[in-house]
Amino acid sequence: MTLDAEVDALRRVPLFRGIDATKLRLLAFISDRTHFAPGEELCRQGEDGDSAFIILEGEADIRVHTPDGEKTVARLGQHSIVGEIAILCDVPRTATVVAATEMDVLTVSKDDFLRLLKEFPDMSLEVMRTLAQRLERTTQDLAAQKASGAAA
Amino acid sequence: MEKSLFSFIWRYSKKQQIVILMITVLSYPVSYILLELPKLIVNDAIQGELFPREVLGFEFDQISYLVLLCFVFLGLVVPSNGIKLVLNVYKGRLGERMLRRLRFELFQRVLRFRLPHFKKVSSGEIIPMITSEVEDVGGFIGEAVALPAYQGGMLVVQIGFIFMQDPLLGLAAISSYPMQAYIIPKLQKKVILLSRQRVRNVRVIADKIGESISGVSEIHANDASAWHSADLSDRFYANYKIRFKIFNWKYFIKFLNNFMNQLTPFLFYLIGGWLVIEGNLSIGALLAVIAAYKDLAGPWKELLAYYQMVADVDVKYQTVVENFDPADIYPVTRLVTDEPEPLSGALAMKNVSVSGGAAGQEAFDVSLTVEPDQHLAVIGPDGSGRSEVLQLAAGLLGPTSGRVEVGGRNLDTLSESVLGRQIAYVGPTVHVWTGTVRDNIFYGLRHRPLRPPEREGEDKVAYARRISEAQLTSNPQYDIEAEWEDLEAVACADVDELVERALALIEATGLAADVFRMGLQATIDPEWQPEFADGILAARRALADRVAHDDRFSAMIELWEIDRFNNSASIAENLLFAAPADPSIGIDTLAADPDIEAALKEAGLYARLVEIGQKVAETMVELFANISDDSGLLGDYSFITQDELPEFERILRAAKSGTGKGGLTPTDEQRLIGLAFKLIPARHRLGVLDDDMRAEIVAARATFHERMDKAERRFVVFDRDRFVAPMTIEDNLLFGRPRVDRRDAREKIDKVIRALVDEMELRRPIIRAGLGFHVGIAGSRLSAGQRRRVALVRALMKNAPITILDETATGNSDDDKALRKVIREELDGRMLLFGASNLIVTEEFAHSIVMNQGRVVESAPGSDNAE
Repeated sequence: MTLDAEVDALRRVPLFRGIDATKLRLLAFISDRTHFAPGEELCRQGEDGDSAFIILEGEADIRVHTPDGEKTVARLGQHSIVGEIAILCDVPRTATVVAATEMDVLTVSKDDFLRLLKEFPDMSLEVMRTLAQRLERTTQDLAAQKASGAAA
Repeated sequence: MEKSLFSFIWRYSKKQQIVILMITVLSYPVSYILLELPKLIVNDAIQGELFPREVLGFEFDQISYLVLLCFVFLGLVVPSNGIKLVLNVYKGRLGERMLRRLRFELFQRVLRFRLPHFKKVSSGEIIPMITSEVEDVGGFIGEAVALPAYQGGMLVVQIGFIFMQDPLLGLAAISSYPMQAYIIPKLQKKVILLSRQRVRNVRVIADKIGESISGVSEIHANDASAWHSADLSDRFYANYKIRFKIFNWKYFIKFLNNFMNQLTPFLFYLIGGWLVIEGNLSIGALLAVIAAYKDLAGPWKELLAYYQMVADVDVKYQTVVENFDPADIYPVTRLVTDEPEPLSGALAMKNVSVSGGAAGQEAFDVSLTVEPDQHLAVIGPDGSGRSEVLQLAAGLLGPTSGRVEVGGRNLDTLSESVLGRQIAYVGPTVHVWTGTVRDNIFYGLRHRPLRPPEREGEDKVAYARRISEAQLTSNPQYDIEAEWEDLEAVACADVDELVERALALIEATGLAADVFRMGLQATIDPEWQPEFADGILAARRALADRVAHDDRFSAMIELWEIDRFNNSASIAENLLFAAPADPSIGIDTLAADPDIEAALKEAGLYARLVEIGQKVAETMVELFANISDDSGLLGDYSFITQDELPEFERILRAAKSGTGKGGLTPTDEQRLIGLAFKLIPARHRLGVLDDDMRAEIVAARATFHERMDKAERRFVVFDRDRFVAPMTIEDNLLFGRPRVDRRDAREKIDKVIRALVDEMELRRPIIRAGLGFHVGIAGSRLSAGQRRRVALVRALMKNAPITILDETATGNSDDDKALRKVIREELDGRMLLFGASNLIVTEEFAHSIVMNQGRVVESAPGSDNAE
């Protein structure tokens, strides 16, 4: 696996979609590529997050605490991104991520990502646009839900 | 100390000065004949008549007479120049010896200053005094007596000759001397005053530069560089002004001299001419006098130059020496006496007062007694007189009134051979010497050279010469190469036992974990410590075993294997599979190594590595070209620094233009290879290395190793069964690399190594290796806490009957409490004075006193320390 493959994976992540290839290459180059064995934790619920994980290969389980103990709520596969909120603002991890298979993961640290944003303001715009779109979609969903609730 | 330069010179070199003078005088006839012979040759042999001549009973015709005289001339040239050579060497050597004596005397005086004196002098001023300012004195000493005596003699002879021709003309010849003798010293005085100013100004400059360096972080943190620049610049200007004035005066004096010297011929021509015309003087006599006067000018000029030099050098000497003669300097016997008497009995202070020269550095009317086995806490905030009382007890400070005694003996009169060995002191600020941890810990036992090394042959001769030189210059004859550790004082049979003792103290004072870490990073010579090296190899095998059986652990590490590529190590290491014997050789320089270059070409890898380097450079330029310098990304991640970017852009352009002119030069190729060498495939993932290339690199190892055998042990091959000396102990243990693509691999491996080291009983030896850790300039590579602990171990090592600790381990933390317990246990049955500003400490001590504003305000109830 080389940088090019990682860039490819990064491009599939919505947050990075609009960013041009050279900058993604730089982001990939300064990020760490880490291998995880099944059962190894990428991060733990409640901890302070300082990096986002992009799954290059393999699958991971997302687990959250419930009153009945820890439960797997989702499974993420190749090219998914986990913990991207952590690289933009300081929030504790909302879930525990555990490797379900052998995994190759690209770890983007918050410091490096913010440094890149500072370096390339265009990149910030792209990220903002993506976030705004997401917000817009959430708002619409909410409105639709309310509307359907009122109808019922 | 001698107040004037001449009394110093005369006192220590009168014999040599007389020798110089004698040789100078004796050489006079030779040089005189040498001057006369050419005249004789021209007048007598070439233009003369009346041949044949008889010389020493032999007859000579004109030609053979000429030959004879010429050979006599030649025969005299050799001794004349030989004498000059001998004399110059003799003078130079004398000057250097006197300089050594002077410098040592000055340095010893610095050691004899009382502590409060150091509040008035700074190292920035003292250093130039001992080093550069006295330098000129050395050059002058050889000339000091001989020159004025010789030239003065010549002058007197010439003047006498003129007087014999005609008293009036004689008077004319010396008529300008009284004027010159009157005016020139007056002018010279101005120069002397300016010289003094200049010396002082330069000292201030040196001091300010020194201060700027030691306070450089403050300068940057406060944006004060402008202020310091202005300050220094102003001082430089002052220096310029003074120098300029000195020039003006100097050249004016020169002008005046020349003017007066040429005024005299005017008198000759006027008075002499008049006398000749009147018929009172023959023309021949006038010409002879004028010729004699010309000869007079030489010595006179020399004497004047000498006079100016004396004035200059003497000022330098005096402005230096006056700083080394404080009234209260300790007698020299305090330093040099070597009488290791035991100091026993109670410590008693009787109405002791001391003033440190500033408020808050005083103690008044302090009286106390401390029994030989008593532990006393001395409590007081900073400025309460606590530190002064403790320094008094250590004999570092002399009381202004009252007495400090131990067992009835006045500390102020005892020599350091008693004070410094019987009392251990750790002050509020500790100093760690530049050197190893070991040097620092044993420092308190290095009083005198005790076990000289065995010397044979040339070494022995060189040593004898060193000693005799030291004798000649009143320098000490201590042997710096001897073993100085006083084993007897600490009841150790040999150095090994001493080291064991040090290790026990390091363990007890909580320094062990730190020294262990230093030990892991240390390198050792396996030939010196074969057992230790074997132990490490055993641990390495155990670790490899673990890797073989524990899948989770083996995923963390890539071991060095001769037939496998290590993706977590750089290409250079993979290629060489060896380390340079000199660990200071970096990867950049490796690429330029001729052996490596040749081996690369032999293995057919040279061009491919250049290609890889080129790809790496291309990627770096592409990724980082638009990155600004202050983002820090470049420094953290790139192979190339901001400064190097343009250079590599040029190299890449050259590479594209192909071979031949404008293409890559061998240096460019080396730089590209250097870049490729740094690549760690698992970390950098640039995709420039395919499996074939990996296999080829692994295959090339053999070529390298073959060549390395020839390369005079400049490289040490990685061998699973051998200790690799240039690698750190940690790398030797691991014999591999933590995988860069596993999270926290290094931490996890560290844990395993630590457990293994404990299990295999290697901890102690590794700590021992840590003793060789270099602590940096004045301990700069240690933390403040480590420095204090090192100083504490140094004090405890001394095994002294009296230990005085000031502001050491005085906190409320568990660490400090534990350390206090260790100290008290270690010193059980011996005297301890424990200075702290923290009242809580008194709870742990049966006896305590509290100080405030220089007075003892409280003694703990039940103790017998009451005033």
